[in-house]
Amino acid sequence: MNLEKVIFGFFIIFACTLNFGFFIGDIERPELHHPMELFAAVVVNLIATVLKFGDRTQLGATHLATSLVASFQLIAASMVWAWQLYVVGQPMNSEFTAVVVSLSGGALLANLFSVVLLIGETLRQGR
Amino acid sequence: MSDILFLILRRLRAPLITVIVVYAISVGGLALIPGVTPEGERVPMSIFHAFYFMSFTATTIGFGEIPYPFTDAQRLWVTFAIYLSVVGWAYTLGSVIALANDAPFRTMLRRSVFNRQVRGLAEPFYVLCGYGQSGSRLARALDRLGNRLVIVDPSSERMAPVAVQEYGTRPLTLAADARLADVLVDSGVRSPLCLGLIALAGEDSVNQAIAIDARVLNPGIPIIARAKSAVAKVSLESFGGVTVINPFETFAYNLGVSLRAPEIVQIEDWLTATDGTPIPPAVQPPHGRWVLVGFGRFGRAISNVLDRAGIEWKAFDPRAVIETDERLVHGDYAENILHDAGVEVADVLVAGADNDAVNLGATTLARRVKPDIFVVIRQNQMQDRALVDAARANLKFVQSDIMVNECLQVLKAPMLSRFIAQLRAGDREQATAVLDRVRKEVGDGSPHSWAFECDVLQPGMFYAFFQRVGKPFRVQHLLADPTNPGARMSVTPAMLERDEETLMLPPDDTLLKPGDRILFLGNDVARRLQQRYLIEPGTVAWVCTGSEPARGFLFRWWEQRQRARAGAADGQA
Repeated sequence: MNLEKVIFGFFIIFACTLNFGFFIGDIERPELHHPMELFAAVVVNLIATVLKFGDRTQLGATHLATSLVASFQLIAASMVWAWQLYVVGQPMNSEFTAVVVSLSGGALLANLFSVVLLIGETLRQGR
Repeated sequence: MSDILFLILRRLRAPLITVIVVYAISVGGLALIPGVTPEGERVPMSIFHAFYFMSFTATTIGFGEIPYPFTDAQRLWVTFAIYLSVVGWAYTLGSVIALANDAPFRTMLRRSVFNRQVRGLAEPFYVLCGYGQSGSRLARALDRLGNRLVIVDPSSERMAPVAVQEYGTRPLTLAADARLADVLVDSGVRSPLCLGLIALAGEDSVNQAIAIDARVLNPGIPIIARAKSAVAKVSLESFGGVTVINPFETFAYNLGVSLRAPEIVQIEDWLTATDGTPIPPAVQPPHGRWVLVGFGRFGRAISNVLDRAGIEWKAFDPRAVIETDERLVHGDYAENILHDAGVEVADVLVAGADNDAVNLGATTLARRVKPDIFVVIRQNQMQDRALVDAARANLKFVQSDIMVNECLQVLKAPMLSRFIAQLRAGDREQATAVLDRVRKEVGDGSPHSWAFECDVLQPGMFYAFFQRVGKPFRVQHLLADPTNPGARMSVTPAMLERDEETLMLPPDDTLLKPGDRILFLGNDVARRLQQRYLIEPGTVAWVCTGSEPARGFLFRWWEQRQRARAGAADGQA
C-alpha cells in the first residue's frame, strides 16, 4: 500500500463527493444548498489541485486540467454567491441559487472526470 | 520554460497545501462561531466576511473586527487563527525564498533564459565550445567581423569576463558541458541560422565528443575541432566533415615549409594579414644543428619535421622517459645541459617548453654562448606576451594565434584556405610566381581575397552562360572593369575550382563553366564592381560585346527587327 496513493485518491474522491453533496437538491431552493458545504468543496478542490502539481506525464496533465476546471467553477460559484449577498445586498433568491448550483454542477462533472481518470489509471497499472 | 514551472509547482506543493489548510481551518471556524449584532441578535459570520477577515489578518494588515465587534469566543478563535496563519505564511514564504536561492533551480532558470535567447536570435551565429585563451581571442575576432556568437563552457568563472570584455554584440553564454547533446541543441546547433561550431575545449576527448555530437545533430554545418594528439586527429578526420586543427602540427608543418621554401610562408602571412599590409620578410631558419628545449607534443612535432628534412637535432626534457633515441636527453634546462647540447655549435634553439620562464631562460643562456643563434620561442600564457616579445625571437609560437588564424581562415575564407593549402603542397617556384603576379597586378599591399561563384541562379551568370550568343564566357570578362570594359581591374585570379579539380593562376582566356568558383585577389573596389556581373545581364553583355542589349519588350522587338533586316540585306548582297 502506498500512502501517497491513499492521500491522492482520498482528496480526489473527497472533492467529488463534497461537490456532489452541495449540488444535490432542488436547483432553485437556497435552503437546500448550504454555504459551508460549498466552502468545504472549494478548499478540498484546491488541495486536490495542488496535489496534482508537478506530475509531468500526459495523464498527470489531464488530471491537473480537470481539477483546475472544477476549482475555477466552484470559486466562480462562491463569487456569484458573495455578489448577490454583499454587492447586490439581497438574500439568496431562486435565480442566483440556480446559477451557483449549476456552476457547481459543472465542477461536479469535472470532478467526475477526475475520478474516472483515477480509476482508469489504477486499473491500467493493475498492481 | 515548462521545466521551470513544473519544478516550482513540485517544490511548492507542501507550502501551498499548508496555506490552503490553514485558511480553511481559520475561515471555517470563524464561520461556525456565532457573533452578535449590535441589536443583540446571534448570527454566525458569513464565509465571505470570514475569508475577508482572515485575508487581512493573516497577512498582518489588520483592519479590525468586521462586520460587528467580536464576541470573546470569536476572539479566542481569532487568536489561535492568527498564530496558525502567521506560521503557515512564514513557512510558505521561506520555501519560496529557498527555492529562488536553490542552485539547481537557478541553473535551470539560466538555461531556460539562454534557450529562449538562442531561439530568439534573428541573425546567423557561430557556436563556440570552450572559452580559454584561444576561445576568447577567436570570439573577439569573430565579433569584430560582425558575427553573433553562442559560447558554451563548463566553467562559469571562465566566462564571467564576457560581461566586461569588449564585444560589439554581447555573446550568449551558457555554463554547461557541451558534450551533452541537449546542451548542444539548446545552443542552437540545429538551427538553420547556425553557421558553424568550433570546439576549443582543453581536452581532446571533449572536443572529439562535441564534434561528433554536433555532426550527428546537424550534418550541414562546418565543424572545427582542436586536437593536440595524433590519435584524436585521426579519429575525428575519419568521422568526416570535421576540420581538425592541431596547433603544434600546424606550426611544425609551417616550420617545415619555411625550411624548404620560405616564400610559401611569406605569401601566406601576407595574404592573411589585414588589407594593405606590406609583404613581410621571408624567414628561413638555418638548416644546421637544432637544439630543442622541452620535448612534449610541441617538441615532438618539430622533431618529426626535422627528421623529414634530414636535420640534426638534440632535445632536452626533464620529464623525458629514457627512450632508445640518444638524441633525446633526460635533464633540466640548466646552463651545463645547454652546453652539453653543444649550443656553441648549434644554429637554432627551439625554446618549446610549456613554461614561459623556462623558455625565456633558455633563450638568454643560449644567446650568452652564441649571440647570433636563431631562436624559435613558444609563448604559453597571454600575460607573458610582453616578456616573450622582448626576447625578440626569430619565430614565435603562440597556440592561440595559430588557432585563431586557422579557424578564421576555415570559417571566413574557406577558399583562401584551400588556396594556401595548395601553395604549401607546391614548390617555391609556384609561390614566387603567385607573389610576383599579385604584386604586379595588385600592388605591394596585402590584397583582399574573395571567391566568385559562377552561380547560374543569379541573373547575370544565367545570361552569361545560357541566354547569350557569341563568344564563350572567359576569366578575362570577369577581370574587365564593368564601368570601362577596355580596362582591366587590378585583380588576380588566383585559383579556379571546378568540381574536384583546381587550377592555380588560371590564364585570362580560361573558359568558364557554370558552377566554377574563382578565388580573386585584389582591392575591395574591384570586388564590389565584380559583383555586378552576378546581378546585371546588361553589364555582362556590355563587357562581352561592347553594346548593351535592349531591355524593354518594345526595344527588343525593334532590335530583332533591325537584326533580321540586316541579315536579309546581307543575304541579298
